Amino acid sequence: MDIDKEQLTNEKSLEIITNMIAAAKGKVDKNSFYFLLWGWVCVLANIGHYYILKFTDYPEPQIVWVITIPAAIVSAIYGYFQRKRASVKTHLGTIAFWIWMAFLISLVLILIFAHRINYQINPMIMILTASATFISGIILRFKPLIIGGILFWVFAVLALLSSLEYQYLIGAIALITGYLIPGYMLKKRANNG
Amino acid sequence: MDKFKDLDPLLHSQLRLAVVSLLLSVESAEFVFIKEKTGATAGNLSVQLDKLNTAGYIIIEKSFKGKKPLTTCKITKKGIDAFEQYVINLKQYINK
Repeated sequence: MDIDKEQLTNEKSLEIITNMIAAAKGKVDKNSFYFLLWGWVCVLANIGHYYILKFTDYPEPQIVWVITIPAAIVSAIYGYFQRKRASVKTHLGTIAFWIWMAFLISLVLILIFAHRINYQINPMIMILTASATFISGIILRFKPLIIGGILFWVFAVLALLSSLEYQYLIGAIALITGYLIPGYMLKKRANNG
Repeated sequence: MDKFKDLDPLLHSQLRLAVVSLLLSVESAEFVFIKEKTGATAGNLSVQLDKLNTAGYIIIEKSFKGKKPLTTCKITKKGIDAFEQYVINLKQYINK
């Protein structure tokens, strides 16, 4: 772009403004990494929890959830380098980050006070996940994620009406429709774009 | 160029207008990102960024990414106001 040498007409001005806004618009981080990582980790944990509860006598089925610890470490390290590498910061990207941070805070509170809510942890987490996933879908303008978020709400209601052991199976299904399917679709779209 | 006298001369330049439009849409952007999106040369872009910085339309922050120097730009309130006024004036010409 050779500035000032070319005469700037009104139309040209408008064109520049439109082009630059369009160039910045698609810059929200369309990253499927977290959805895929947490989708798989939590699907496995849910199914593992259900399996131990239903088919074994092992008294501590919640032990399977320790696999979220390495996942959290991987997420933090990945996020740190990702943010360092990004050459642009968008308002929507920042909002998306804080939605999931707020989710994390709510999640920790639910886990700490699980005994006060009669251990209905899974439906509560699904309701929270529904909000965060739904809003993420709106920000990314990605319909599969919006639908996945809505399905989290639906499955949360089903879970609230089910016994504790089936809540884990419902949780696993909700994660497949809410995280994994949209996650793989997002990945495919990112690779094509 | 008489009919353009109301248009902010600082924004009425191809590259500076492009930079401000770009920064308006993001929170902050690195030099390389702006260079890539506007297609400007590094030298030219530096000069125009300095002009916008001097006018108070943008803030330029210099830091380091590892050992590489890093220039990050951000639009200011003054820059947003100037851009809005520029668009309003532009509209008047187009509607004429």
